[in-house]
Amino acid sequence: MAEELRIGVFVCECGINIAGTVDCDGLTEWAKTLPDVVFAIKNRYTCAEPGQQEIKQYIKEENLNRVVVASCTPRMHEPTFRRCCADAGLNPYLFEMANIREQCSWVHSDRKQATQKAKDIVKIAVAKARLLESQKELEVPVTQAALVVGGGIAGIQSSLDLADAGYQVWLVEKEPTIGGLMSYINKTFPTMD
Amino acid sequence: MMDVGRHPKINLLAYSEIEEITGYIGNFHVKVRKKARYVDEKACTACDECVKVCPVVMPDEHQLGLSTRKAIYMPFAQAVPASYLINMEDCLGNNPIACDKCAEVCDPKCIDFDQQDEFVEFDVGVAIVATGMYVCDPTILDEYRYTKYENVITSWEFEILTGPGYVTKGELLRPTDRKPPKNIAFIQCVGSRSEKRGNPYCSNICCMNTVKDTLFLKEHHPEIDCSVFYMDIRSFGKGYEELYKRSKAVGVKYIRGIPGDIVEDPKTKNLIVTVENTTTGKIEKHEFEMVVLSIGVIPRPETEQIQRALTLSKAPCGFLMETHYQLDPIDSPTGGVFLAGCCESPKDIKSSVIQASGAASRAETLLTTGKVKVEAITSTIIPDMCKACGICADACPYGSITVDRKAKTPAVVVEAACKGCGTCGAECRFDAIEMKHFTDRQIMAMIDAMFEEKPEEKICIFACNWCSYGGADLAGLSRMQYPPNGRIIRTMCSGRVDEKFIWHAFKKGAPVVLVSGCHFADCHYINANRWTQKRIEGMWNKLERKGIRPKRLQLEWISAAEAVKWTKVMHAVEDLRKTVTKEEIEETKKILSDKKKG
Amino acid sequence: MAEEVTFKCLRCGYEFKGTYDRKVPEERECPKCGSNSIRPLPKKKEK
Ligand code: SF4
Ligand code: SF4
Ligand code: SF4
Ligand code: SF4
Ligand SMILES: [Zn+2]
Repeated sequence: MAEELRIGVFVCECGINIAGTVDCDGLTEWAKTLPDVVFAIKNRYTCAEPGQQEIKQYIKEENLNRVVVASCTPRMHEPTFRRCCADAGLNPYLFEMANIREQCSWVHSDRKQATQKAKDIVKIAVAKARLLESQKELEVPVTQAALVVGGGIAGIQSSLDLADAGYQVWLVEKEPTIGGLMSYINKTFPTMD
Repeated sequence: MMDVGRHPKINLLAYSEIEEITGYIGNFHVKVRKKARYVDEKACTACDECVKVCPVVMPDEHQLGLSTRKAIYMPFAQAVPASYLINMEDCLGNNPIACDKCAEVCDPKCIDFDQQDEFVEFDVGVAIVATGMYVCDPTILDEYRYTKYENVITSWEFEILTGPGYVTKGELLRPTDRKPPKNIAFIQCVGSRSEKRGNPYCSNICCMNTVKDTLFLKEHHPEIDCSVFYMDIRSFGKGYEELYKRSKAVGVKYIRGIPGDIVEDPKTKNLIVTVENTTTGKIEKHEFEMVVLSIGVIPRPETEQIQRALTLSKAPCGFLMETHYQLDPIDSPTGGVFLAGCCESPKDIKSSVIQASGAASRAETLLTTGKVKVEAITSTIIPDMCKACGICADACPYGSITVDRKAKTPAVVVEAACKGCGTCGAECRFDAIEMKHFTDRQIMAMIDAMFEEKPEEKICIFACNWCSYGGADLAGLSRMQYPPNGRIIRTMCSGRVDEKFIWHAFKKGAPVVLVSGCHFADCHYINANRWTQKRIEGMWNKLERKGIRPKRLQLEWISAAEAVKWTKVMHAVEDLRKTVTKEEIEETKKILSDKKKG
Repeated sequence: MAEEVTFKCLRCGYEFKGTYDRKVPEERECPKCGSNSIRPLPKKKEK
C-alpha cells in the first residue's frame, strides 16, 4: 500500500479558549511544514456545524487521507470528529486529535511557551497520524436471553421487566426461594404497608 | 414474586449457584449448579403432610434461628417456587430404614432421597447482577454486649420478631421474660460511619428503618416508650422527613448522641445505657427493657464469586463498581453486564426497583439492537512471532487470550472479549502482539517526534485514558496552572506502557519519564495496572544496574477527579527535570546505545 | 511470599519499612509527600 500520505491539520481557536493563549495562526502555518502535511487551516469552532463542514469539504477537495484536529480533549469530541470523517468517506480510525486546550491553553498563561507546547502536541499527533491504519469494527451478535443473578427485589424487578419485554430470562437464586431480604421485612417505609 | 414463578419467559433456578461464566458481551455461557432439594419441585403440592411426620426439629435459619423448622420444610409460606425441600444434613432418613416417614406420607411421591445436584447450562447475551446486601456483624462493637445480654437485639432480629411469620404473630416480646417491654431504645449507626470499626460509609437505610420500627410499635402498642440514639437522622427521600416528624409527634424520643456503653442489671435484666447527649453536652444514663442495635449493611458475601466470574470491580467499600458514578451508574466495567440494587450500594426498596428497571432497560437496548460493535483497539497476535510463553494469557484481566503452552501453538485472542487495555502487548517479550490504533510503531514515532528538539526540556508522560488523562483534562477545566514541560502520550491503560517505550524515551534524551494510571481501586481494566507497577519496579532495578538514576522514572496514580494531584505531580516532575543535566542525559544515551539493546 | 523490605520514595527520598509481596501488588503512597513512586529496595546481599 504505497499510498501517498496526505494529512490535513485543522487548528481550532475555540473562540478565545485556545486562541487567547496559543498563536493559532502561527501554529497553522507551522503545521504545514510537518512531514506529509499537505493542508492546514484554522477554524473558530471546529466542532460547530461550519467547522465540521469544512473538514468534510477539505477531505474531499484536498484528497486528505489522514485528519488531525488540534482542539480539545478526545474524551469529548473524538466521537464527533470520527463521525465527521466517516461522513466524508474516510475511515474514522484515520483521525487523530491533538489536545491543545485542556492540556495546553487552559493550564499555561505564557503565550510563547504555550504556543511552543501546542506545536509539539500537534507534531506528536501528526507523527501518530502518519502511521494510522484503517480499522474495521467487529460486530458480534447478541444472544437473545438474559441472566439475572439474585432473586431479591432488584433481581425480581429486572427479570419481570425483561420477561415482559419478551426476552427469555434465567433467574438464578442461591436460596431455596426468591424474595431476598424483602421477604423478611414486615412493613416498609415511607408508606408503612 | 408469584409472577416470577408463573411467567412463561422466566426460568427460575432457585437453590442454585453460578459455577462458571465464560464469554463476553452478547455471548455468555453460564453453568449453574442446581442443588438437590430431594423433593420434586414440580410435583410437590405443598400439602404439609411430610412436615407433620418429620421428627427432626431444627432452628429456622430463615428466622435467624429464632423459631424452628423440620428437616423437610418450606422456607416460608409464600415461597417461590412453592416447594418443600429436605436439608440432608438434618435428615435422618438418608438411610430409609432410619426414618423415611415423609416419603411414606407423601401422596404424589415426590420425595427422592437419591436426587443429585444438577448442572444446567445455557447461553445469554446480557447479565444483570442483583446479589443484594446483608447485615453486618454487631459483635464488632463490643460495648453493646450483643453476645452477652439477651435483651440486646439487632434491627434485623427486631424485623423477624415482629414479623407475621414469627410465632408471636407480630407481638413483640422481650427475650428474657417473654413479656412485652415497657420501653425500648434504638441505637443508630452500629457498624456504619466509623473509620475504626465496622464500615466507614453510611448504610443509607437504617435511619428510616428505625423511624419505621418506632411507628410500627407506636401504632400497635402506644404504651411502649421508644427512644432513639443517633448522630443525625438522615431522612432524605420523598415522604421520609414527614415520617420522621410523625414518629416524633407520636412521642418517640430522639436523643442526639451515640451510647458509649450498655450494662445489664442482673436482677431485672434491664439495660443501663450511658450516653453523652451532644445537644446538652451532659452524660446521661437511661434504663431500658430492650435495646435494638440499628446495624449497617454490607454487600452479600457471595457477591465475590460473581465478581470474579464476570470480572467486575469492587469499590473500596466492598460494593460493586459502576462505570461512572453519575453518568453510567448501572453499567459495570464488563460489557453487557449491569448492576441492580444493593450489590452496587446500600439503598432502599424504591431505589433498588428504579435501578433494577434501569438495568433491565440497559440490557434490553443491547438485546433489541441484536448486535454490538467492538471498538477497534483490540489486540492481535502475530502467530509467527509468538513463542507460546503464555504471559499474555496471565496478564489479560478478562481472560481473552488462551495459550496452549504444551502444544506450543500461538496465542489466540477472542477479539470480542478484548477491551484493548494493551497489557498483553506490553508484557509480550517477543513483540508478538499488536495493539490496534495504539501500535508500538505509532507510540515509538510519537516519542521520536517529542524529543526531536530540545529533549532536555521535556518530560515524557504516559497517561491512561480514563483516569490520569481525565485528571489532566479536569486540571484544564479548572484552569489550574503548571509548568509547560510535560508531553503526554495517551494510552487506554497504563498497562499498555511497554518497557521499550520507556527505554526509547531515555535513549532519545528524556530527562524524566512519568507513567500515570488509575488508582488500584479505579482501574478500568480490573487489575491491569498491577502489571504496570510490577513492570516499573523491575525497570527501577534495571536502571540502577545500568547506572541511571531510578528516580528519573516516576509512577503516579491519579484519578479523573484529582486535578489537584495532577497539578502537584506536574510541579514535582518539573522540579526533578531541573536536576537532570545535559551531561547526565548524554551519559544515559551513551549507556543505552553502548550496551546491547535495552 | 511477603517479606520485610525498605521502601524508598523516588520523589522525596523518604525511606520506610513495610511488607512486600511481588505476587500481590498493592498501591503505595509516600507518607511524607504522597507520591506513588515507591520503590521496594532490593535486599543487599549478606556477606
Ligand atoms: S472542537 Fe473543542 S476546542 Fe474546538 S470549538 Fe469545539 S469544543 Fe472548542
Ligand atoms: S426422612 Fe428426613 S425429612 Fe423425611 S421425615 Fe424423616 S427426617 Fe424428616
Ligand atoms: S506473550 Fe507473546 S509470545 Fe507469549 S504467548 Fe503471548 S503472544 Fe505469544
Ligand atoms: S489488550 Fe487487554 S483486554 Fe485485550 S487481550 Fe490484551 S490484555 Fe486482554
Ligand atoms: Zn515522598
